[in-house]
Amino acid sequence: MAILETDNRPQAGANFTALIGEESQWTDRRIFLDEEIYQLELDQIFRRCWLFVAHESQIPEPGDFVSSYMGEDSVLIVRQADQSIVVLINTCPHRGNRVCHAESGKVRSFICNYHGWSFGRDGKFLGAHQQDAYDASRDFCQDRGQLNMPSAARVDSYKGLVFAIFDPDAPSLQDYLGDFCWYLDALLDNDEGGTEFFPGCYKYLVETNWKTPVENTSGDALHAGWTHASGPEALFGRAVAPDKGEHSYHVNQNGHCWQFNLDYPLGNAAALGEKRVLNYLRERNDQVVERLGEVRAKIMNAISCILIFPNLGILPGSMNFRVYHPRGPNKIEVHSWGLVNQNAPPDVKEAYRKGGMITFGPAGIFELDDGENWEFVNRASRGQQARRAPLYLGVGLGSEIEDANIPGHVSQGQMNEANQRSFFRHWADMMAAEDWTQVPGK
Amino acid sequence: MNQPMQPDLPDRPTSDRPILDGPIPDRPMQDQAGASEPVRRAIESFLYREARVLDEGDYGAWLAMLAPDIHYWMPFIENRRNEDPAGNYGPGRLAYYDDDLAYLKIRVKRMQASTAWSEDPATRQVHVVTNIEVEPTEDRSAEDRREFVVRSILLSYRNRGERDEGTQFARRTDLIRFEAGKWLLARRRILLTQNVLLSRNINTFF
Repeated sequence: MAILETDNRPQAGANFTALIGEESQWTDRRIFLDEEIYQLELDQIFRRCWLFVAHESQIPEPGDFVSSYMGEDSVLIVRQADQSIVVLINTCPHRGNRVCHAESGKVRSFICNYHGWSFGRDGKFLGAHQQDAYDASRDFCQDRGQLNMPSAARVDSYKGLVFAIFDPDAPSLQDYLGDFCWYLDALLDNDEGGTEFFPGCYKYLVETNWKTPVENTSGDALHAGWTHASGPEALFGRAVAPDKGEHSYHVNQNGHCWQFNLDYPLGNAAALGEKRVLNYLRERNDQVVERLGEVRAKIMNAISCILIFPNLGILPGSMNFRVYHPRGPNKIEVHSWGLVNQNAPPDVKEAYRKGGMITFGPAGIFELDDGENWEFVNRASRGQQARRAPLYLGVGLGSEIEDANIPGHVSQGQMNEANQRSFFRHWADMMAAEDWTQVPGK
Repeated sequence: MNQPMQPDLPDRPTSDRPILDGPIPDRPMQDQAGASEPVRRAIESFLYREARVLDEGDYGAWLAMLAPDIHYWMPFIENRRNEDPAGNYGPGRLAYYDDDLAYLKIRVKRMQASTAWSEDPATRQVHVVTNIEVEPTEDRSAEDRREFVVRSILLSYRNRGERDEGTQFARRTDLIRFEAGKWLLARRRILLTQNVLLSRNINTFF
């Protein structure tokens, strides 16, 4: 591939389509391995896209904060006195030290351990240990703005989900999510009380490229019945029935993806192994249909998965949310949470918390099977010959349809790789674009 | 409509039983209050045997060592400031394990399934149990039943395939019961010493 030759190093403006094929049906393995491509991804994608950082329920009161990452940047998501949310880069403008080492809590101010610089909840410089030494310096205080903790350019929420972005010229969050707002309402707005995260966040390391779990979560229904055969066997004593594709779909737009099957509207929820959850969903079904309509009432718990570009994965039904934070071309740090309706009865919430744990927690009967595949996708591709063999991604080519009831670009059949192809096309567009005006709306 | 993933599931009662959900006060271990030497030896043997059956993957034997009312809890450990009243773990938060016997049986079934590809070839593992302290409890509710609070440290070492490794240290607090001539594990709280789990998963018991 020409892009990796010396006269065409990976850079904005380069032809990244060459690495995924015109229809993105063949993927060059080097996009998962190359350090230069990875560094460019941090700038072209993680610095320019809206990134999921928190759920509002994690920080209900002024001074409440949680830590997260935007790409490789450690960030603090802090509730302000006026209920707005600020996202600070967790680094001191003096020597660069990490300012806050806690992952959540409540603060009046943040104080750096190194020289005692202190910052308000909004990141504004308040003062330092030995302040008079700074005040006596000729140029101190000339521009106090430079003494503040750096922050994200913009922060916005969509129905409880907090996103932040470093690029001030990006589209609004609403435009960025596009038709996926309509889809996300199935999870976030099926009850008037809204949603919350369970307290806590799973964190674990997987030695793979971030795009490997991302393309999986974008639509890989094909792996579910095989990779995860042991989960249903343990829960129900038998495998999941194969999909016939009549009422199942891949939908995508601007790199966001959702695959779902309307025939089994409680499919993913049933995998939690909790009768209380199923009873709760059946009891509420009529209400949800009235609120959101038939399609969304079904997809909220169907056998399905979601990707919000670039790295937020969601498993409807089990209500697992996860971010694949990049840590170099060969490593990720997974953060994952459980979502539940705020108004759900306590015993139903408890069933969701435990069901989420036993399925997709780090010791969960489904999660256990993914990690090894994702690591060896990476490791088995590193050989000097293996890395030259492109990867097939052509299932469902030509399956595109129009469906008035389903927004976005729709392909027929869940056993499809249409979403993965759309993810890589958007990836190539973002990698090549000099700025947001060059990103084609798709 | 054929709904393949909606079989009848057992009703699971809401959990309201007491759990080891906070720091257990460190009372000084007085000789007369401590367990007798034969009891201490019996409990040590119980824990060593448990470690061995887990190493051997003999999960049937392991399940037989658990009380029917077991609560097996391994909370996720958070990084919080020392002054934070929430503490760095607690009930109702995300956990690796927060299991009753039914949950543990599901996990074992999955481990033993012929389709658990990522357990074949098997993971090689060693459970090292050390720093065992045994303390009798006040519970005298039944004449033939005695319970002991048992603290120990577990080193879990896993090795898979050619060179995949996982090493975790945890501090355990157990409630071990002697009833009808049999020793059983009735409660276990496992405090891991890692925040970000430095492994891709936990395919083992602690």
